[in-house]
Amino acid sequence: MLDKVADRAGKAAGGASGRAKAPGIDVSGVREAGQADRRGSMSKSDRGTIFELRDLTVKYGGTPAVKDVSMEIAAGEITALIGPSGCGKSTLIRCFNRMNDLIPSARVEGSCLYHGQDLYGPEVDPVEVRKRIGMVFQKPNPFPKSIKDNIAFGPKVLGLDDIEGRVERALHGAALWDEVKDRLDENAYSMSGGQQQRLCIARCIAVDPEVILMDEPCSALDPISTGKIEDLMMELKENYSIVIVTHNMQQAARVSDRTAFLIVELDAEERDRWGQLIEYDVTDKIFTNPADSRTEDYVTGKVG
Amino acid sequence: MPNPMAERTRLATAGAHAAVVGNLGKQPRGDVWRGNLFLALLLLAVVLALIGLIALIVQSALKGAPAFSMDLFTEGPSIVNPETAGFRPAIIGSLYLIAGVVLLIVPLGVGAAVYLEEYADGDRWWNRLIELNIQNLAAVPSIIYGILGLAFFVRGPLSLGFVVAAGSLTLALLVLPTVILAAREAIRAVPPSIRDGSLALGATQWQTIRRQVLPASIPGIVTGVILAVSRALGEAAPLLLVGAATFVTADQPNPFEGGYSAMPVQIYNYALQAQDEFKALAAAGVVVMLVVLLALNSFAIWLRNRYEQQW
Repeated sequence: MLDKVADRAGKAAGGASGRAKAPGIDVSGVREAGQADRRGSMSKSDRGTIFELRDLTVKYGGTPAVKDVSMEIAAGEITALIGPSGCGKSTLIRCFNRMNDLIPSARVEGSCLYHGQDLYGPEVDPVEVRKRIGMVFQKPNPFPKSIKDNIAFGPKVLGLDDIEGRVERALHGAALWDEVKDRLDENAYSMSGGQQQRLCIARCIAVDPEVILMDEPCSALDPISTGKIEDLMMELKENYSIVIVTHNMQQAARVSDRTAFLIVELDAEERDRWGQLIEYDVTDKIFTNPADSRTEDYVTGKVG
Repeated sequence: MPNPMAERTRLATAGAHAAVVGNLGKQPRGDVWRGNLFLALLLLAVVLALIGLIALIVQSALKGAPAFSMDLFTEGPSIVNPETAGFRPAIIGSLYLIAGVVLLIVPLGVGAAVYLEEYADGDRWWNRLIELNIQNLAAVPSIIYGILGLAFFVRGPLSLGFVVAAGSLTLALLVLPTVILAAREAIRAVPPSIRDGSLALGATQWQTIRRQVLPASIPGIVTGVILAVSRALGEAAPLLLVGAATFVTADQPNPFEGGYSAMPVQIYNYALQAQDEFKALAAAGVVVMLVVLLALNSFAIWLRNRYEQQW
């Protein structure tokens, strides 16, 4: 049993050893460059708070999926949401750009402030919200069009100018230009899964959002494609704030500045279950010295 | 630690082996026999359906053979002189009818389908009522639409008279449920992830429908429209009620004025005449219609295969 934990810790730390806290996972050795970036962006969090959740509860048809979440998300950082299946992390991330509106039975209570303005206020148009807060989904979902048209779609419907330039810049931004510059007119479905996901990221940044939400962006990808997306995320955070949901704790440890840990809570009769935020802190702290024992159990692989 | 695990693994492997060996033996004789009988029945059904279709085509072709000539397309109707009788006004009338039907069913059918799939809340009782009714309407006999057309388009509220427009309206009503159902299927086949992707970029719901959902569902919609048109082309019963005549000699009917004819009605009329020459003419007309219908259906299949998107 201990072998297993040590093994996971080893993987998380990229094989590096350091000031490991006994069964805990040490992330200090992960990717030197990433470390530097993270330190750098810690000071950048002076850029302020981009989202502020206050007692946010989301219900599907009256049953809460996630309850009483309060947290602040800093601008210019990568914030990871982790936790076991069914803990509401996908529900939570879909609150940030009002994608939950698309599910008729979903109700959002509490408030979700974006630069101090409640996204769920009566005067807020969800379309305007999504123009500023883009999203990348679990399964790559390119449109059944050419690579170029996939990226041009957003700028076109938003009435932006310089479509050609935007397409090229977005593809450069998603580190895809060199791979596809000679086949921009080919159907996007001719690309590999990893390329498709980077195309979706390019599509997202082509409309200049301020925030990119990523809902398990690598869960359908192989490790090499996953690595490319993670590298890309480290570059993107120079210009965008990123919130990522991930099943993969190592991924959270590798890329994120802050990590929120959610669990599935059961009521006394074990009939209702909902997601609850347990701990939210700097990623180093969550993975090396978590305040809550449940966080420690999860990140060390004892549960979940 | 390793020893009990190895023992467990060994037992599990042995169990799986026993289960596989037990299941891979010969099937009981009765099962084989029943399986073959079922396959034979299925083949019989296919063969019977094919024989029916082939017999119809061959018989019509043989019977109509003496009447095949360009006269079919260039001459007007006659009940005295079969040598110079043809389908010209009927063909033109049918083309007019179909053009009207397409103009009516494409916007109405696609519009209704988009509303039902993309906007309507399926939990509301009125939307469920609409859905149920559309499905039922697709099964209503065509003669009833003829009576409806007579009461509402020819006389009554619209009072158009016995004109092409009334015929088009009646046929359009007849096939509209088919188009709506086909278009809904096509729209539903577009994965929700495409809508999510579009909406997440800040596109409005209408932009998403107009630029993503509809283009992706065009093959399915067009297939539905062509099948509906094929049906409308072959209908005689409702047209008899809304005034398709058999003695129209004018070439280009004004859709809102004057009599019109149609292929199935003209065929029906020729088939009723006593002389064999007219019966041959009717058979030739059937072949012309079959060719047109098969061509339309082939086009629909080609289109579907050509543009079908693999998600």
